[in-house]
Amino acid sequence: MGSLAEPFQFEFMVRAMIAAGLVGLLTGLVGVYIVLRHLAYIGHGLSHAVFGGAVVSFVTGINFYVGATVWGVFAAFLINIAGRNRRIGGDAAIGIITTAAFAMGVALISRRATFTRDFEAALFGEILGITGDDLYVIGGVMALVAAVVFVWWKPLLFTTFDVGVARSYGVPVEWVEALFSLVLAATVIVSLQVLGVTLIAAALVIPPVTVRLLTDSFNRLIILSTLLGGLTGFAGVYFSWFVDVSSGATVVLLQAAVFALVLAWSSLQAQTRGGRPYAERLANAGRQLIGGELADASGNPRRA
Amino acid sequence: MLRRSKAVTATSRPVEHGPPPATRAVESLVNLRELTVGYEGVVALEDVSLDLRRGEFLGVVGPSGSGKTTLLRAIMGQADRFAGELTCLPPEGRKALRFGYVPQVGTIDWNFPITVEQVVLLGRWRESGRLPWPRRQDRALVGQVLERLGIGHLGGRHIRALSGGEQQRTFLARALIGDPDLLLLDEPTSGVDIKTRHDIMHLLGELNRAGVGIILTTHELNGVAAHLRRLVCVADRTVIADGTPAEVFTPEILRRTYGAEMMVIRRGNAIYVLEHPDGEDLVTEPEIVPAGSAEADGSRWAP
Repeated sequence: MGSLAEPFQFEFMVRAMIAAGLVGLLTGLVGVYIVLRHLAYIGHGLSHAVFGGAVVSFVTGINFYVGATVWGVFAAFLINIAGRNRRIGGDAAIGIITTAAFAMGVALISRRATFTRDFEAALFGEILGITGDDLYVIGGVMALVAAVVFVWWKPLLFTTFDVGVARSYGVPVEWVEALFSLVLAATVIVSLQVLGVTLIAAALVIPPVTVRLLTDSFNRLIILSTLLGGLTGFAGVYFSWFVDVSSGATVVLLQAAVFALVLAWSSLQAQTRGGRPYAERLANAGRQLIGGELADASGNPRRA
Repeated sequence: MLRRSKAVTATSRPVEHGPPPATRAVESLVNLRELTVGYEGVVALEDVSLDLRRGEFLGVVGPSGSGKTTLLRAIMGQADRFAGELTCLPPEGRKALRFGYVPQVGTIDWNFPITVEQVVLLGRWRESGRLPWPRRQDRALVGQVLERLGIGHLGGRHIRALSGGEQQRTFLARALIGDPDLLLLDEPTSGVDIKTRHDIMHLLGELNRAGVGIILTTHELNGVAAHLRRLVCVADRTVIADGTPAEVFTPEILRRTYGAEMMVIRRGNAIYVLEHPDGEDLVTEPEIVPAGSAEADGSRWAP
């Protein structure tokens, strides 16, 4: 048992597990709105855009969070504005703005060979380098986002369900969308150091999609997706200690494994939902195939 | 008598959702005067004049893409106004007109994880407090509205697990729970069977008799001819006819609207529009429908 508690003996691991748990809670919560808005790609895109801001921060020597926030929020608003143009559309707006911002980061890095390490850290995360201040920032953002979701629950739900109709019912759609852009940008920024540019999208999408397979209730989806994100974040970093694999990758692989299990289970449930269990239907199909009689458990023959 | 949409006599003023002016026509609820609207600089509806009276039940017909939905959005103030005036005149005691909008079912995400009760509660998002969970009185109100529409037993059901008629009633309940002055329904009878269509029209008639103003868009020409007293015909991004079914459903107006020859059969108060006058397989015996019956009488749904 001593070896199982080993990760908790190192302060940097404890910080990493707490950080990954908080980021998991955050991405699990925000991810519900992303998935239900059919914006799975935006997490991927925005994390790349924020990467540009991170590089600019390194180059100019300003605080990472300040540079990434300005850059990320700017990109989120640009996506929001361009996406409303019917001739562009949301997906194309994300593709253009985020890749352009990412390319700017790459261009800056290519001019400074010494940034190779920072480049990798931004791409794949550097969770073991989490400081106490980082934990405060992540915790603060988590609390802020939870408060926003709680207070703006109904307008957020309405605009997520049907943005066109929400406006006719007096929902301040533009404000809600702007607020959501801020929430999303903040989520991506604080997740960058934990998960890296390349893995944030998975953490935003997998927990809500997994829970969606299990429930038709929005409230349950929010609660369970948040908990699943937090749990897999914490557990992923914990397991990474033993398997000696990148923490961010372990978190995402753990989430993917849970998703695969739930998908298999829910598929089996769906098969049995028609009344007769799947195994019985399989047996019936087999009987029809061989066209004869099968023996039941007692050995007595019976008609198929 | 056919009157062009410009021939509007009601007074109006260029203020949206303002307080009722002293000089307004008493019965007027919404007034559009030479209104041109659109989206992102592109005109979608041009030079429309229309006066909707309190408690009126108006049907809007026209081909797809002609501007029917834009007309509804224009009334709600959701389209960009390029010219003309839109005046909404709220009843005494209300600062603004309350709309209850029922979108086309095709625009709904039926896989969204939401129950009937939650959908209806969205119609009271502002009045029901900030907390995520509904208050007891809000749930009771939802129950009353659902009961009124005959789906009181479906509150906990997911919206995907509903029939076409139940889906329409769910979104009608969301519109009604806000106690609207005007219901706007975008093709509420599309994609449903004839029995459900009849039930929906019957339900809307009951609501209208209870004092709720209604505008609905539809492709069901014979349905609205049988049930409504007033129709508006939209074609080529403008209103080309406004009047009773007998005034609007003429071969000439239908040709201008749909770009095709159509036969109009009249028998008593009943009007039937047939799509292909030359087709030999058409049922042209009006006796198959009980002409002059309550269903065929436009006054049945009259306010």
